[in-house]
Amino acid sequence: MDAFFSIFNENLLIATIRLATPITLAAIGATICERAGIVNIAMEGLMIIGAFFAATVSLLTGNPWLGLLAGVVAGGLFSLIHAVGCISFHLDHVVSGAVVNILAFGVARYLMVLFYGHPGTTDPIPRSLAEFQLAIPGLSRIPVIGRALFQQTPIVYISFVLVICFAILMKKTRLGLHIRAAGEHPLALETIGVSVFKMRYLAVVISGITSGFAGAFLSIENNVSFTEGMTGGRGFIALAANISGGWTPIGSFLAALFFGFADALQVRFQIIKLLPIPPELFIIFPYAATIVAVAGLVRRSRPPKEVGVDFIIEREEE
Amino acid sequence: MNKGQNRAVLLETRNISKQFPKVLANKDISIKLYENEILSLLGENGAGKSTLMNILYGLYKPTAGTILLDGQEVQFPSPKDAIRLGLGMVHQHFMLVETLTVAENIILGTEPGRLGFIDLKQARQEVVELSERYHLAIDPDAKIESLSVGLQQRVEILKALYRKARILILDEPTSVLTPQEVDQLFEVIRKLRDTDVSIIIITHKLEEVKAISDRVYILRRGEMVGERETEAVTQQELANLMVGRDVVLTVRKQAKTISAECILKLEEMVIQNDQGLDAVAGISLGVCPGEVVGIAGVDGNGQTELAEGIMGLRELSRGRIVFKNRDIHSLTTKERILEKISNVPADRHRFGLVLPMKVSENLVIGTHDIPPFIKGINLNLPVIAEHSRNLVASFDIRTPSIEVQAGHLSGGNQQKLILAREFSRDPDFLLVSQPTRGLDVGAIEYIHSQILKMRDRNVAILLISLELEEIFALSDRILVIYEGKIVKELIPEKTNEKEVGLYMTGGGTKEP
Amino acid sequence: MSITRLKPIVLILALVLGLAGLVLYLSSYFIGLLLMLAAVIIVFAYRAASGEKEAAAEDARRLLRNLSVPAAGVAVAVLVGGILMLATGYDPVAAYRALFYGGFVKNWHISILNASPLIFTGLAVAFAFKASLFNIGAEGQYYVGAMVATYLGIFLKLPPLFSIILIFLVSGLLSALYNFIPALLKVRTGAHEVITTMMFAHIARYVSSIFIRGMGGDSAGPHPYVSDPILESNWLPRFQSILPRANYRLHAGILIAIAMAIFVHYILTRTKFGFEIRAVGQNPQAARMQGISVGKNIFRALLFAGFLAGLAGTNQVLGLEHKLFENLQAGYGWNGISVALLASNHPIGVIFASLLWGALDAGGQYMARTTQTPNAIVEIIKGIILFLVVARYLYVALRNRIKRRRRTAGEAA
Repeated sequence: MDAFFSIFNENLLIATIRLATPITLAAIGATICERAGIVNIAMEGLMIIGAFFAATVSLLTGNPWLGLLAGVVAGGLFSLIHAVGCISFHLDHVVSGAVVNILAFGVARYLMVLFYGHPGTTDPIPRSLAEFQLAIPGLSRIPVIGRALFQQTPIVYISFVLVICFAILMKKTRLGLHIRAAGEHPLALETIGVSVFKMRYLAVVISGITSGFAGAFLSIENNVSFTEGMTGGRGFIALAANISGGWTPIGSFLAALFFGFADALQVRFQIIKLLPIPPELFIIFPYAATIVAVAGLVRRSRPPKEVGVDFIIEREEE
Repeated sequence: MNKGQNRAVLLETRNISKQFPKVLANKDISIKLYENEILSLLGENGAGKSTLMNILYGLYKPTAGTILLDGQEVQFPSPKDAIRLGLGMVHQHFMLVETLTVAENIILGTEPGRLGFIDLKQARQEVVELSERYHLAIDPDAKIESLSVGLQQRVEILKALYRKARILILDEPTSVLTPQEVDQLFEVIRKLRDTDVSIIIITHKLEEVKAISDRVYILRRGEMVGERETEAVTQQELANLMVGRDVVLTVRKQAKTISAECILKLEEMVIQNDQGLDAVAGISLGVCPGEVVGIAGVDGNGQTELAEGIMGLRELSRGRIVFKNRDIHSLTTKERILEKISNVPADRHRFGLVLPMKVSENLVIGTHDIPPFIKGINLNLPVIAEHSRNLVASFDIRTPSIEVQAGHLSGGNQQKLILAREFSRDPDFLLVSQPTRGLDVGAIEYIHSQILKMRDRNVAILLISLELEEIFALSDRILVIYEGKIVKELIPEKTNEKEVGLYMTGGGTKEP
Repeated sequence: MSITRLKPIVLILALVLGLAGLVLYLSSYFIGLLLMLAAVIIVFAYRAASGEKEAAAEDARRLLRNLSVPAAGVAVAVLVGGILMLATGYDPVAAYRALFYGGFVKNWHISILNASPLIFTGLAVAFAFKASLFNIGAEGQYYVGAMVATYLGIFLKLPPLFSIILIFLVSGLLSALYNFIPALLKVRTGAHEVITTMMFAHIARYVSSIFIRGMGGDSAGPHPYVSDPILESNWLPRFQSILPRANYRLHAGILIAIAMAIFVHYILTRTKFGFEIRAVGQNPQAARMQGISVGKNIFRALLFAGFLAGLAGTNQVLGLEHKLFENLQAGYGWNGISVALLASNHPIGVIFASLLWGALDAGGQYMARTTQTPNAIVEIIKGIILFLVVARYLYVALRNRIKRRRRTAGEAA
């Protein structure tokens, strides 16, 4: 019984929120993207780019906030490749996403060797964003959930804010309405004079920005350096989170919590060493959880009608 | 309705031409639209009517020519500009987002509100006011996907009126409506004409032109070949102008005696749709060799599920399906094909062909693993090629070779391909759905005559169609389907389209 | 005597010449190249003589057209890579010279060794693509095949030929079954195979760590993070045993890979399985209408793809490394995807794309050793080639624009 409570306690909740954060960020980006009609499997690569640039700029300038900015901007810019690929070049979305992933890994490796002289892991950064943990007075004293929700590090708070912002955006604003229309019936939007291309480009860049946040979290907030492959499949788990969450920001957040929980649990099982089982079997938790979620055993809902479908207007100029 | 030439010209095009990479869609087209009139643009598929309208609506830029609005030259670089200048378009395939509400769809693009936020309350109010003003009743909070097709079209019209359209362009507006809904639409159009909105109707239906419009322009192969006052012209003359030669308006079928023993019998068949509701709610019918049974109904009354049930793509919840005196409900689609049941599906691109595959491959798919097309596990390519060449010749399929992709063929030739494949299997029963959708008069002629040839060969044919003209032309018996049941059986020679239309919409039943 | 009666003789002759030439060339007997060329010429000459001149010319033309796209991609990538190198302070000319020399001449055998597993994983991804399925988790299937091959390689004691064939079959079968759940989920619930196969790939990676530890690779043992070696009787035969000039590491895996590619091509174009898989991939609804079972073909496609990817692992263990290394960054999965895309999912094209990738890797290492230019520039070059090849629309649009400009210019003149 003691062992049970040594795992299932408040710290588990804190860790769940913390570990869910990169998935949340990538997932809500995927939500916006797919609502506008674009499938984005490149988030894994975008996170790597975000993580790399965040760590490198933090190292160079000593200021993790600049690192955060760099990671976010890098993610946004790199996502333009996917945007150009599937929107302007009419590539299959999954193919374009796969290519962007490959490019991202390659660029990260090249730059690593260039700046650090060796692949693998970068040098540790002097100050990590984890030092900027903030406890909101009053709220953080609430029992059980107080510390989990209101005593966290910057990017975690940012993820909360973004989830709420995106939810409001989709439901109550003009832009949100246009994004939803772009994924359901792009021609209708075009005939009203709103550019579907612009909507989709915007959506992809938004997902690049949130993936940048997610990557930065991994390297400069949850850690103090960048390691190749540190995303560990989270980009794909985020896709599953978006699907399980029914293509809504709040849903994606809740689904991400599920995966964060699996991740947090797995770490604890490893530490507590309840049973003589190889640690790898625990590391697999989140991946197995993702498969279960995507198999529709968690929730079933309908994707945007025209997601993944290319949109060509037989327009003008010869 | 004054017809004097001292009416103002609202919209005019002068020598409009549009060149696409492979085709000259519009050549030198000059038309005029007056105030307070209903104008028809008549033409076959591919005659260039939609291209012209898309130019007027700002989706295409003309390669030559000018457009004048109220006498001033204007340009429409994008739909936004056309809308701003008072043009509204109701497309054939609605531009409505199904998961959004009526109000959201109507305000899309011109949403009321500040700082990027939408004032939904104001939007609703504006929609309600608008629908009251034009007597177009609609529920602003209903989701589009829950509305009937007629109501959806109403939303499209309201969309245009919300943006203060003075010219309303309707593209093939009646193709999805029942006869009753068509009457309602015409009432609305006439009222709009009297309130200073001029209307252009794009159509290929001759009766429509006569029923509703004041004037008509006829387009053929991208050129304007005639302008008439509709009162002064006959349907035959319109048809000839449209096609460029004398056209046989209806294919005459020979009366014949039909053998008594039905080869296909459906007994109290119940089939559920994807939502778990009974789409087919107890249908019993029989089709005998050599007869064409036509199922008439508005789209969405169970025809799709009926066809899927017959072909084995959807399970029966209750009832029996008996073919050649055998209960076949447990047979797979493949096995039914082997039992000589052939199917011409409703949507040739989605269900009839694999467009990236070659013509030859599309001609054998379904029987590709049956000798002589197969040798062991290998496809017998020479035999397949020979078979394909024969079919291309006998069905007059226009294609450069049997190795080209099916997607490169024209609509009519694609449909001929499907017919060739299904007919060449020498079926005993033929299920035909929407065989001439989207085809021009010439292709329709050909396909109808092919179906009647099968009838002459004593094949039992079940025809499902949304075109009453087609049903009347081909059927020996008409069964009207409504809400998943056969509500009436009629003989074409003893009834008319109005009566059929009545039953199609649930009227004429003896319920209280 | 009609020339078509010679057809079987001609085909056999071409096959023998081609095969012999291939083996010789791989073993560094460059006369093999001439033999292969002779084989190709014989085939084309036969087609010309037997009246298929039109079709043969059309085929040649089409081949050239299809090659122009990757060629252009390579050219642009080389250019961009050169600029990048200049910008970061390296000498592009020396680097490229080393790259080309290392990949295609000095270390050609390394290129071949790199290419064999890629051919298998490339085929796996390409085959699944034909059914419109994205077998992105090919790397996981690779690991499963590798693990099974290692296990059997250590314990199975049979005469070499039987042993090796058995190991290939069993490892292929089990890696095929590794795709069973993704296939089942896809058919039953529509779960996207990108996510499921990717998750299974991560799982396989971690399971392989446990496996290696169990097979003698624990961190306290004599060889940490590497399994025990497999029996010598289970090694794939080496070219050197017959042709002494061959590099000592070159093994028969490349021949198996090429044979597999030809086999996959045959399945896709000549058999009813390939026909149905293509139909399901291109229009599943129309296929259903014609009685083709979509579910069955999804299973066939994903499981066969798993089989192929697993053979990549078997190939590496039995042929090259003779043990299982814990290599979490192998990249066979993503490289397999690149190769498949590069080859437009054509099985024969996969062979050449794999050779190109293998040569780039080998040349990159040589370049890094001799000119101190970082190997990683090769990754970027690969990425650019991939992007440009995949952006086929670009070429179509460009070509149309050139055609139109010529036409309007002609009309104006």
